[in-house]
Amino acid sequence: MIEVRDLRKEYGDFAAVQGSTFSVERGEVFGIIGPNGAGKTTTLKMLAGLIEPTEGTVQVAGLDTDDADMKRQLGFLPEESPLYEEMTPVSYLSFFADLYDVPKNVATRRMHETLDRLDLDHRDRQLGDMSKGMKRKVAIARSLINDPDVLVYDEPASGLDPLTTNFIIDFTTELAEEGKTIVFSAHNLFHVQSICDRVAIMNEGAIVARGPLSKLREEHGETTYHVYTSVEVPGSVRENGSYKRSVTSMQAVEQTREAAADRDGTVIDIRTEESSLEEVFLNVANPDRAGTASSTADERSADSEA
Amino acid sequence: MELRKFLRIARWEVTKNAGGIDRRTAAITVGALVVLGVLAPLIASQGVALDSGIYRAGVDESSPYHEVLTDDATFAVHPASSDAVEEGRVDILIEGTEVVDWADSAKGRAALAELRSAVQRFNDQLMGQDPNQTAASPVSVTLRYVERSLATTQSAGDGGADSGGSDDGGTGGDGTGGTDGSSGSSDGSDTTDGTTGDTDGGGDDSGGGPLGGLGGLAGGLGDGGTSGAPSDIAPPFPFGSLVLAFVFVLPLNFVIQAYGSTILSERINRRGELMLVSPVSRGDIIVGKTLPYFLGAMFFEGLITVGLLTLGAEGATGWISLLAVTPLVLLFLGATFLGAMFARSFKELTFVTVTITVALTSFAFVPAIFTDVTPIALISPLTIVVRDLQGQAISLVEFGFSTLPAMLTAIVTFGLGAGLYREEDMFTQRPIPLKALDALSGRIKRRSSAAKLSILLLPFVFVTELIAVAMLFAVPQSFALPAILIVVAVVEELAKSIHLYAGFVHRKYVRTTRNAVIVGSLSGLGFFLAEKVSLVVQLLGGDIPDVEQAAFLTGGAGPAVSALVAIALLLAPLALHAVTATASAIGAARSRRGYVVGLTVAIGIHLAYNLTVVSFVVG
Repeated sequence: MIEVRDLRKEYGDFAAVQGSTFSVERGEVFGIIGPNGAGKTTTLKMLAGLIEPTEGTVQVAGLDTDDADMKRQLGFLPEESPLYEEMTPVSYLSFFADLYDVPKNVATRRMHETLDRLDLDHRDRQLGDMSKGMKRKVAIARSLINDPDVLVYDEPASGLDPLTTNFIIDFTTELAEEGKTIVFSAHNLFHVQSICDRVAIMNEGAIVARGPLSKLREEHGETTYHVYTSVEVPGSVRENGSYKRSVTSMQAVEQTREAAADRDGTVIDIRTEESSLEEVFLNVANPDRAGTASSTADERSADSEA
Repeated sequence: MELRKFLRIARWEVTKNAGGIDRRTAAITVGALVVLGVLAPLIASQGVALDSGIYRAGVDESSPYHEVLTDDATFAVHPASSDAVEEGRVDILIEGTEVVDWADSAKGRAALAELRSAVQRFNDQLMGQDPNQTAASPVSVTLRYVERSLATTQSAGDGGADSGGSDDGGTGGDGTGGTDGSSGSSDGSDTTDGTTGDTDGGGDDSGGGPLGGLGGLAGGLGDGGTSGAPSDIAPPFPFGSLVLAFVFVLPLNFVIQAYGSTILSERINRRGELMLVSPVSRGDIIVGKTLPYFLGAMFFEGLITVGLLTLGAEGATGWISLLAVTPLVLLFLGATFLGAMFARSFKELTFVTVTITVALTSFAFVPAIFTDVTPIALISPLTIVVRDLQGQAISLVEFGFSTLPAMLTAIVTFGLGAGLYREEDMFTQRPIPLKALDALSGRIKRRSSAAKLSILLLPFVFVTELIAVAMLFAVPQSFALPAILIVVAVVEELAKSIHLYAGFVHRKYVRTTRNAVIVGSLSGLGFFLAEKVSLVVQLLGGDIPDVEQAAFLTGGAGPAVSALVAIALLLAPLALHAVTATASAIGAARSRRGYVVGLTVAIGIHLAYNLTVVSFVVG
């Protein structure tokens, strides 16, 4: 559905995006995460046809981003909600429906259905008088007024209270379940983890890792094994009547089992803990940190061997 | 562009604020606009009664002058009393058919002169009503007006009945008599006053047609040492032209405030981002947002025109006025659009719109005041408006000369602003000078763009120079001419080099001396070609207004010279433009300081060239 090839954007000497390449399948939810200034928003704006790439190509549904037909198939939600505050939700959405060539009767029906789903009343109140959460709902409704196949959402729940944030994340999940292709960026990695099928991690303008979350964990995360023994072994701590030792390799697990057996004890339980996306992200964004973590694990293993 | 799309945006632009204005505000706004629309033509046609009752006259009802004075609003009539003048109760005292006393002051003498004019008008009116016109006006004079040339005015020591304003009604300073200019027909209603050149400057406003005249001009020209510039004009001031020009330029200053705000509001908080991502083009958005303000401005100008026609602008077509004012409306909007694309806040926008108001009002308004005084007034499209409303004929060349620079500049300003109407430029907070460089660099694709941009900026050069002429127009020529030559050098060198500097800053051109020489030469060539093409077009049109020589003397036009000298004169500007643009480009390729140095050198060379050419041509 979306094909991005060697995408590059330069502002003078500064390269905001450096040769990104990725594709998004129809109906997929693709997350882009990264620290501030990583190039996420610039990438999303190039997808939406707002910014012209310095190099590379973007195609949405086989169309170039400057094609009006492509724009009709795309719903863009920027990080802020830049609304015309003197308008009401109804007049605002009607105006954009006209720009997207949506027939009036279809637009009216779709507008009210979407606002119903978003639980937004006060449809004749001026947007300037609305809360930030309500404005965000109107902005989301606008992104859906043309019933697009592709949604490009930049931080959809940024700066909202937890209740509204959850509502919007749930709503986005519903849209994904309806078959919309969604490209999504967020600082809150929990949201990305809960919605996205695949993730790209950007840092300093480049995609430094991408793929399904499980693959990223495998490549950039750590699995921690919590080995519970009946006797104390080196490096263990007492926990709920047993002894727990946390290690990061199967070899260390085996060493723990042998150490327990040497002391006439047994392994009671082994629990595994996957890295969170946040840890994966931190490892990718800061490779030194990952190196430090591995070293620590190795040192722990060496200690336990001793 | 799609008609439906930009009309939808235009409708939205008009209606989006509908919910934000309460009824009272709307009613007050509408009321104010109606009052403005009604009063402006009234004021323009009848003038503000600044001189109503200014002179006090003592006269009895039995006197034949009583009716004359009561008919003239400038006089306040009091009963005659022998000591009234001494006691300061009246300025002039009339007993029977004689003026027996008047105040020994400037006002007393002015009252006396005004009495003469009032009597003359009264008599003319009386004669005009006589059923036997042949008896009333036994001598018929046919007048033929010719356009005054600067050379003529400069040597007009013998007076200048032929060089005076076409309808001013002034009398010649040599006493050869003038006309009251009341009409040009041969039905016998024309009159010659036959008076000798008296000291009042021959001025009366009534003779200049329904919208007032330019009395005093001919008297001013009669002293032989005048140029026809405003500084040489004796009062009374050309009030009719002033008011006409004012009422047409006034609404534009209000319209651009609202227009600038709406353009900037698209840029504040990134509000315009979502329209850019929708399936509408930049052109749709810009045209859609501009259309209501253009139509609004044209509506007011139309209202004023219709009002003036209704109130008796004899001989006026109206449609010529509207056609002439259209480029001006577009120029105001285009300049505001570009300014609003540069401004980073409403505070900056205020500065920008005030600058635009002052500059463009000076360009349009000041020359138009002197419509009947000098052909230089033709640099303003409003001069065409004033002339049309005064019932004067306008040639196509005059119309083109007045309106084309404004129209082309409006197109260029909209084009440059449209170049910035994209996400990457709209929402950045770069300073205004850097935004200007962004706008220019956006048009640079390859080295040949240097020539294209110099051509593109030529209308800017013309209008800026015309604004300079307009601003310096009212000062003595001894100061104005050198000042204009300096302005010409600075403006032309900036126009040729600023886009080169933008190209080097934005790395569109590689910073080498060779490149600087190439793009500098191309820029100079482009400027030369555009300048010459505009000159050739004017030559083909014939009848170049004398203002061309006054404002653009260095463009190559001059007195008759040998063929060799003519060729040299033609090619010398090419060498000048290429050399100076290259000097600036070499500096621009190095650094900002280098550009300043290069530009200064270029301006110096250009100024020296201008002074040489002017001294050669003027002799």
